[in-house]
Amino acid sequence: METLLEKIKDRVNANFDLKDYKIYTDLKRVDLFFNKEHIPSVLLYLKEQMGFRHLMHMSVVDWIEEGEFEIIFFLWAPKEKVKIFVKTRIDRDNPVMENMDNIWPQLNTYEREFKEMYGIEFPGLVAPEEFILESWSGPPPMRRDFETDKYAKDNFATRPGREDAQDVRETIAKRSGEDIPDFAKKYSR
Amino acid sequence: MESLLMNILGAVTTFLLAFAVGMTYGGLRRKIVARVQNRYGPPFYQNFIDAFKLYSKSTAIHHGAMHFLGPAFIMVSSVVSLMFIPVLTNNQWFPNLNFQGDLIFLIYIMVFGPLGMALGAGQTGNPNSAIGVTRGLSQMVGFEIPWVMALIALMVQYKTTSITGLLDIQVQSGHWFMFENPFAFSAAILASLGMFRYSPFDIVGAPTELASGPMSENGGKFLFVMMSSGSVFAFVKLTLIVDLFMGGASNLIILVIKTFLLYMIPVTYGIVSPRYRTEQSITYFWGWPLFFGLIAIIYAVFF
Amino acid sequence: MYNDKNKQKIVDIIKNAARKHSLWVLAYGTGCGAIEVPATMTSRYDAERLGVRGAATPRQADVLLITGYLTVKTLKRVIRVYEQMQDPKYVIGFGSCTINGGMYFDSYNTINQLDLYLPVDVYISGCMPRPEAVLEGFGKLQELIGKGIANGAQQYKENLDFYRENQKKVIKNWDFQDYNW
Repeated sequence: METLLEKIKDRVNANFDLKDYKIYTDLKRVDLFFNKEHIPSVLLYLKEQMGFRHLMHMSVVDWIEEGEFEIIFFLWAPKEKVKIFVKTRIDRDNPVMENMDNIWPQLNTYEREFKEMYGIEFPGLVAPEEFILESWSGPPPMRRDFETDKYAKDNFATRPGREDAQDVRETIAKRSGEDIPDFAKKYSR
Repeated sequence: MESLLMNILGAVTTFLLAFAVGMTYGGLRRKIVARVQNRYGPPFYQNFIDAFKLYSKSTAIHHGAMHFLGPAFIMVSSVVSLMFIPVLTNNQWFPNLNFQGDLIFLIYIMVFGPLGMALGAGQTGNPNSAIGVTRGLSQMVGFEIPWVMALIALMVQYKTTSITGLLDIQVQSGHWFMFENPFAFSAAILASLGMFRYSPFDIVGAPTELASGPMSENGGKFLFVMMSSGSVFAFVKLTLIVDLFMGGASNLIILVIKTFLLYMIPVTYGIVSPRYRTEQSITYFWGWPLFFGLIAIIYAVFF
Repeated sequence: MYNDKNKQKIVDIIKNAARKHSLWVLAYGTGCGAIEVPATMTSRYDAERLGVRGAATPRQADVLLITGYLTVKTLKRVIRVYEQMQDPKYVIGFGSCTINGGMYFDSYNTINQLDLYLPVDVYISGCMPRPEAVLEGFGKLQELIGKGIANGAQQYKENLDFYRENQKKVIKNWDFQDYNW
């Protein structure tokens, strides 16, 4: 198995400018890191030449400390039963990613979602304006600097009585005169 | 003058009887279905409560004139066909209109209600109503053919087109047509499964699939009219089959026993069956029921 | 919510007696609470013996059962469904989410208090309320109807400005027609 994964890595490395890689033998998985501009050709190569025909998922991770978004494509080769995670980083302040729904049409849906939830621009994406949020005026809600608590308090009236909500575990322990065990203390408020 | 008054009073009594019997049967059906599903079930008078509640609801829907007339058409169809059915064999209290050929008239007037409902449902503009109406009319094409064949077999065999005439022949000879022409009876019973629209033939008003189909825009008083006309129509169908095939009934108790036994056929068949698709329903009626209908006519002509 | 005089005419008493034993429920299953409704209706708890029955469309329904959280998007649809229902109509708020937001109290797109947007007759607390609690809620609603004080619909008509203001505050793309009874 390891040789197969190594071979996959080597073959990609021979054709493209591979930044970094990681191999998980027990998970049958290779992680490949690229620069943003190589992604379309890499995905096309993996799909057409190497049998990774199935796009399982596309995901975004918000690395707010490093000022970057990480975009991950999860690919699957049905014949070899091997996964490839293709990862890239884009700038968080000016998030622009190439539209790739001509490679896999289902990417269109993912891209709509990330446009709405993270504010990532996909130039040339043909899709209706709204996906899940209707007439949303705030910042993209899945970014980590979006304060949901404050937004909810500002926009939706809260019923009084939540502020002094007590920890159930503590309340029960106090009432029955028991001590909270040590392992549970770290979960207390 | 007096006889006219008596006739009107009798017509009203007939209607009330049909309403009460139909509603009670509906309630009993709900109870039986519940017991089969291992539930306690609603009380047998639940349908009366529902009907009264629906009547007392306000109605603020307006979709145009046909929408209002749709339920009225069904009610007219039910009441007119009720007026042509002899409820008892020697009827003092339940007079009915009869003339030579009323069985043929009845075949037409029984289709009139669903057609009126189709017009009313069409104007609501609800897509579920439109699908329900399409399915209902397709299903009607299915079950009307064996049903008409069964009736034609009787008409050919006994050379009369009057319901009272057919009833009198049975009463005088003492032989029920159920045994005289069993194929016609089978075809009529199988067709009546579709007429009652219980499962597996509930493709018209499938609540989870079509949101009750043609009724989906009708609430409150519209639904009350539809519900009561449905109950009256159930009584009409049961009494008609009793009159044509089971020798009628000389008093109300025998009528109730016979109709209830007949009513149990679609009910029990429905409890154990899931819902058919539209084409399955139509092919069902064009299978054995149609075969029985053909045999009935051949039997009536040659024997 | 309560009637000032709390007096009923004889006609109303008869009508309410029928209404309380024939509740046709439109279960608006947006949240996880929808899974408790089949359990309530089927053989173990059998709500039909109390006259509680599912309705297929808003036109036929008496009770709007809102099972769980409402996002801004679904709230718009719920208001539309509620306004399509015919009088008399009742709303049951089902689960913590309708009372104070429940576990979604700080979510960016879910409302916290249902009774700001629709007149709620009965709340059923719990996350999730078990079928026993749901039946208890229906029992409470029947009691209120019997006394003639479950008039949330009337309250909605009388305080329409209050409800409209709250609804428009949350729903930005307001494109409803005016409510006409």
